[in-house]
Amino acid sequence: MGFAVPMGALVLWEIFSRLGIVSPRYFPAPTTVAWTLADRLVAGDLGGDLLVTLTRLAFAFALAAVPAVPLGLLMGIARPVRDLVEPYLAFIFPVPKITLLPFLMIILGVGEPAFVLTGASSAFFQIVISTLAGVQTMDPRLIEVGRNYGAHGPRLFWKVILPAALPAIFTGLRLGLGLALVTLVAVEFIAAKSGLGHLVYRHWQMLSTPEMYAAFALVGGLGLVLTRGLRALQARVLTWQEDIGV
Amino acid sequence: MKAVGRWLAEHWITIGSPIVLLYVWEWASASGLLRAAFFPRPSTIVDHLRDLAVDGTLWGHAATTLVRIGWSFSLAAILGVAIGLAMGLWRRLREGLDPVFAVIYPIPSVLFLPLVSFLVPPGEIALVVTASVTSFFLIAFTTTHGVRQIDRLVVEAARHYGATGWRLFAAVLLPGALPFIFTGLRLGLGFALIVVVAVEIVSASRGLGALLWLSWQVLKVEDMYATFFVIALLGALLSYGLAALRARLLPWVPDVGDR
Repeated sequence: MGFAVPMGALVLWEIFSRLGIVSPRYFPAPTTVAWTLADRLVAGDLGGDLLVTLTRLAFAFALAAVPAVPLGLLMGIARPVRDLVEPYLAFIFPVPKITLLPFLMIILGVGEPAFVLTGASSAFFQIVISTLAGVQTMDPRLIEVGRNYGAHGPRLFWKVILPAALPAIFTGLRLGLGLALVTLVAVEFIAAKSGLGHLVYRHWQMLSTPEMYAAFALVGGLGLVLTRGLRALQARVLTWQEDIGV
Repeated sequence: MKAVGRWLAEHWITIGSPIVLLYVWEWASASGLLRAAFFPRPSTIVDHLRDLAVDGTLWGHAATTLVRIGWSFSLAAILGVAIGLAMGLWRRLREGLDPVFAVIYPIPSVLFLPLVSFLVPPGEIALVVTASVTSFFLIAFTTTHGVRQIDRLVVEAARHYGATGWRLFAAVLLPGALPFIFTGLRLGLGFALIVVVAVEIVSASRGLGALLWLSWQVLKVEDMYATFFVIALLGALLSYGLAALRARLLPWVPDVGDR
């Protein structure tokens, strides 16, 4: 039942496009797009550009997550650190991170470091904020209980605070990965000369629409796999926790 | 006076650190420790900001961006709340649309620009429609969730007291979903800003995103920083202002489920 509507829409699209009711130049039939997708993925540029985007995503995510989780935890347990960092977080968080791209391109030159760091920045702020929220919203009774059983300092942190913040950290990582993908593809669309985002742009400019839709579908599939996959992973790994956040 | 003193004692780090940072930046840039070509002195950035404001450039671009945000947010809000409510009320519709939404939602909204420009006249309308896509999904999702999370017992009780159809909807379901709808609208407004600026960078010649991009292309670094500052200010105003507005206008509506 759940797949009747999308399948129906695709079949209608196919018929309309084949009969020329909608212009096949702008709306090529889904089977044509699927054929192009399979063909280009194996033999053409699509597979290579998918790899480029995935590599950038991996670097961006690692560059964001490695400093963001410790910073968020530190902000959660040390008030002066929180006071110090919070104004910048509050200032930058609502800004579209794509606006950092021209600054990074001026400082680092037009190239991979600027592209990857722009993607990383969007994940970084999300992960810091989720991690901080995880520490701040934990039940204070847990800390009390831990103290009463003699946990202090590092022990309290490793045994009580970190496990309690873990679901929020995971949610932050999941959202951060999604944001990094969105920002990276936008960066590719705007500035890079490779990657799935650039493919959509180039085939749009050349009006080679089957290739454009194929790249578009690949981005959608990638996003779906990442968001759904991580959500499932979270449910498996943190079975004792209910899901939080969107 | 005493209260001010106590407040300062509480927050001196938060207030002080940006001031210190700006002074250090100013000094480092003036003394050549930082390359002024990349990190111009904050005082010159302020000068450029004033120049842009005085000759009206800034207001023109800011107004364009604000109008676009207004249109795309309105479009996303009207369609998002309507479809979200419908999906919350009718299971079949929800089951039908869920897989479609799941595939489309993670796609970066900028990528919709080519598609949208095939469907509607390119230019202003295509820009506004593209910018509303992400906000629409966000608002529709939260609204659906808002209807679905209403306690079944409350709905049952209302039915027993004779509320059906329109009355049930207006008196029970809509108020029950309201906190979620507001959260969806708040997040949607934030995303409308993000996507409008991104699309302006890609394809527009006016608007704050376009101003930032054009300043980059001619390497007017001070103007880049000034524009960035205005965009950040707008972002802060939209996201924190709206939360404060809700707290003032609708104090009984709790804020739920921030991401």
